[in-house]
Amino acid sequence: MPFARRKEKRDLDIPTDSVSDIAFLLIIFFILTTTLSKLSGFTAELPSADASQKQAAATDTKTPGVQIAGGKLLFNEQEVSLDTLRDRLLDLQLGKKEGQEKVVMLEAAGAVDYQTYYQAMAAISAAGGVVAIVEEGE
Amino acid sequence: MKLPKTRRVTPAVPLASMGDIAFLLTIFFILTSNFAKDDTRKIKPPTARELEQMEKQNVSVSIDSDGGMFFNGRPVASPATIEAGVAGFLTGKKDPKDRMVVFRCDQGVDKKVFEPVLAAISKAGGVIAAVGESSQPPARN
Repeated sequence: MPFARRKEKRDLDIPTDSVSDIAFLLIIFFILTTTLSKLSGFTAELPSADASQKQAAATDTKTPGVQIAGGKLLFNEQEVSLDTLRDRLLDLQLGKKEGQEKVVMLEAAGAVDYQTYYQAMAAISAAGGVVAIVEEGE
Repeated sequence: MKLPKTRRVTPAVPLASMGDIAFLLTIFFILTSNFAKDDTRKIKPPTARELEQMEKQNVSVSIDSDGGMFFNGRPVASPATIEAGVAGFLTGKKDPKDRMVVFRCDQGVDKKVFEPVLAAISKAGGVIAAVGESSQPPARN
């Protein structure tokens, strides 16, 4: 009677030779996808106001206002350059004031790009002011 | 005289723990990574002098160069949707640091597009963290 063939013993070990290669590939992936750069910008809590509120504020108290119209920058209705605006805002010493006195109205009329608007907002914010956006009426 | 045999040490690098080290590094990178929610390829940020470093936040709103609006990386149709989304995220948060909303907008976008979005974030109780790039001050003579 022929003997039954001996069963071949299979190696039951999990092949781990390539584990480190896989792990290093994952590391390379994470190194490449990680963003190490930090965001830069400014923070602003915006109280919004419509045109009528703005008018009331302008008559009751002398709330400073920055206007952007036709590509020009105006501070309290007078045309200024960005550097002059910075200086004028710093002169107001908004950082030392509190509450409503810190508010600076920002009004844009017509077509205004975000770059111009952003620079005005950044200048107000850097001077310690609180930006209040005046939305154009319908 | 019989000289003692010198044992030769084979110069093999122990590689057994290499996999463990690699996986520890992988876990470190997984935990410290911040996956970008927004596709910022179509956003050219504005520049200004007076910028400071900000911490990353969980809520983000972006507007690309085509005027497309995104809330946490997902396209949205109107500022009203952004307002509802931001309000939902900020429920129960009172500290201004917790109410930060990262706002990215292309520098060429018109006021008609970005102003309602800013107003929507504001109405929802968000503190706007407007992202930009720092520009060097011009040299003074």
